[in-house]
Amino acid sequence: MKLPWKKLPEQIRRLAVVSLFLVVLPFIVRSILVPSDFGKYGHYRASAVDEIIAMEIKYAGHQVCYDCHDEEVESKQAGVHKNVSCEICHGPAAAHSEDDEIELIAPRDRDSCPLCHEYLSSRPTGFPQIVSDSHEPMKACISCHDPHNPKSEKSTECEACHTEIANTKSLSKHVNIACKECHETPDAHKTQPRMFLPGKPVNREFCGRCHAETAPSDKDIPRIEMETHEEAYVCWQCHYPHLPEAE
Amino acid sequence: MEEIIQHLTPLFKEISGYIYPNEIELHWSLLVVIYPYLTGLVAGAFILASLVKVFNVTALKPVYRISLLTALAFMLVAPLSLLAHLGHPEKSYEILLTPNLTSAMAMFGFVYMWYLMAVLLQEIWFDYRKDLILWAQKERGIKKWLYKCASLFSKDISEKALKFDDKAEKVITILGIPSAFVLHGYVGFIFGSVKANPFWSSVLMPIVFLFSAIVSGIALVLLIYMVVTPLRNKVMDTKCLDTLASFLFYAMIVDFSLEILDFIHRIYESEESIHILSELVAGKLQFSLIVVQLIIGMIIPLALIAGVKMFNTPVELKRLLYFVSALLVQVGIFFTRWNVVIGGQLFSKSFRGLTAYKMNILGIEGLLVSIAILLLPFLILYVLFKFLPPWGETHVTTQPESS
Repeated sequence: MKLPWKKLPEQIRRLAVVSLFLVVLPFIVRSILVPSDFGKYGHYRASAVDEIIAMEIKYAGHQVCYDCHDEEVESKQAGVHKNVSCEICHGPAAAHSEDDEIELIAPRDRDSCPLCHEYLSSRPTGFPQIVSDSHEPMKACISCHDPHNPKSEKSTECEACHTEIANTKSLSKHVNIACKECHETPDAHKTQPRMFLPGKPVNREFCGRCHAETAPSDKDIPRIEMETHEEAYVCWQCHYPHLPEAE
Repeated sequence: MEEIIQHLTPLFKEISGYIYPNEIELHWSLLVVIYPYLTGLVAGAFILASLVKVFNVTALKPVYRISLLTALAFMLVAPLSLLAHLGHPEKSYEILLTPNLTSAMAMFGFVYMWYLMAVLLQEIWFDYRKDLILWAQKERGIKKWLYKCASLFSKDISEKALKFDDKAEKVITILGIPSAFVLHGYVGFIFGSVKANPFWSSVLMPIVFLFSAIVSGIALVLLIYMVVTPLRNKVMDTKCLDTLASFLFYAMIVDFSLEILDFIHRIYESEESIHILSELVAGKLQFSLIVVQLIIGMIIPLALIAGVKMFNTPVELKRLLYFVSALLVQVGIFFTRWNVVIGGQLFSKSFRGLTAYKMNILGIEGLLVSIAILLLPFLILYVLFKFLPPWGETHVTTQPESS
């Protein structure tokens, strides 16, 4: 009696052997190459989770900061930055939370804030944005804005009316000198500006407080010899004080 | 860093309007253009072969085996472009071992395997089985053993067995037609299902891909037949050429109609993306889409073949026109793939700007690698022609060739 296998055409028998081999082979390969814990939780290797857990943790999470820095946290919670995690500006803090000696970064330059606040047309309308090249380019952001609770209120001081001068001064090294430092201004100037004019320096010694050779000011400030440098003039007759760098 | 800046700086000059920062550089390069082009050729060549077996178009018999071997040669090379593009080819088996069943891309492994193992190789095997047995008897040395292995040590060449071969081939071809449709329809599906990209997202995409595949496959086989036959000092079968050109013509008409339908549909729908897409088509894609794809790759070949059909053309001129048409069709279909893959990445998802594609010459994603991948199938085809001669005269048949 012929076996049923022998009844099949020769071609089919030969192809069947090859096909069987090719069908079984992937299962054998699969059993060898696919890790045994693959698919335990989902479409991944379960032990990968343990490997990830074993990795060093660098971020502490903002809750940890609350334990020591109450004042900053309270201030932040009251403002628009309440959802900005501390570590976004201060960097990963896990090591610092374990050891005070390890200090965190506290960005004080103009590089950090524009990462979020530089003007980009794709940012949402109403999101506070600046063009950093023209927005107080000489000042650090934190000199006007408290990063923990930033506000962008409209000024009610001198620049409210003297915007052009304020803009010019913002480009100058004199940016951090308050207007009233040079201009003695009566309070009534705000209500009757033409009746009560602000004053201005009338002698050379005023500028000499910083720029005289013997002045106790920062060493980077340009110096002159008061006795010999154009002694017949008041300084602002030649130098524009709001932008003295100008030629 | 310096290298990245040098690469990006020329691109900045090409950007117009507003684009998101991660859209400056295209993620899918020339290699991804080649991939649908190659799979299209495979599907097209196979569908041409099926015309002989399933639809009994006897005039195409001289190119039946050429089509099958062409499909095989291009099929073997098609995944290379993806492997080169993705990098880490040593990990590529993982997609087959642990496929994500909800991923259209992971399904490619199965579609490819099914088509290669269950359809193409089996059809070739059944078609060549008798010849392999006879060649194994005739040859000596390694070649004898190669033929023996290729025939799976089969010996039966009785009339009954040959009839069974023929029947099996027919069944496989019938299975093969939807498989070839799935193979290339899948590629269209990958693009058509990207709902975030209005240039791609269209249910017509798989169908358009499919018909352009048939067009490119027929044109390729026509070219190969026209180049190889004179090289072998043989005379071309004019009836076969005419039939090939006719099928090419019909497939192009359907392909052209579908593309125009898609075009009209988009314009009539006028979705919010229409402005940026018109800017894209009228600007960055003007040459590759309107001039190359539409005029050079579609209208001129259509007109040439129509001209041959309408007028009584001398044989030599007819052959020349067929050859030129098929060549132009190849260029056109390549640029069809280019326009889909590259064109679809040139506009910003903000719909407000356009970026540019800078092709590298060297490097794995470069032009040279792409040319090598495009030439490799011809090398494989040469080896296949040597090992499995598809020509009628060496083809030991029980019935004479109809041509």
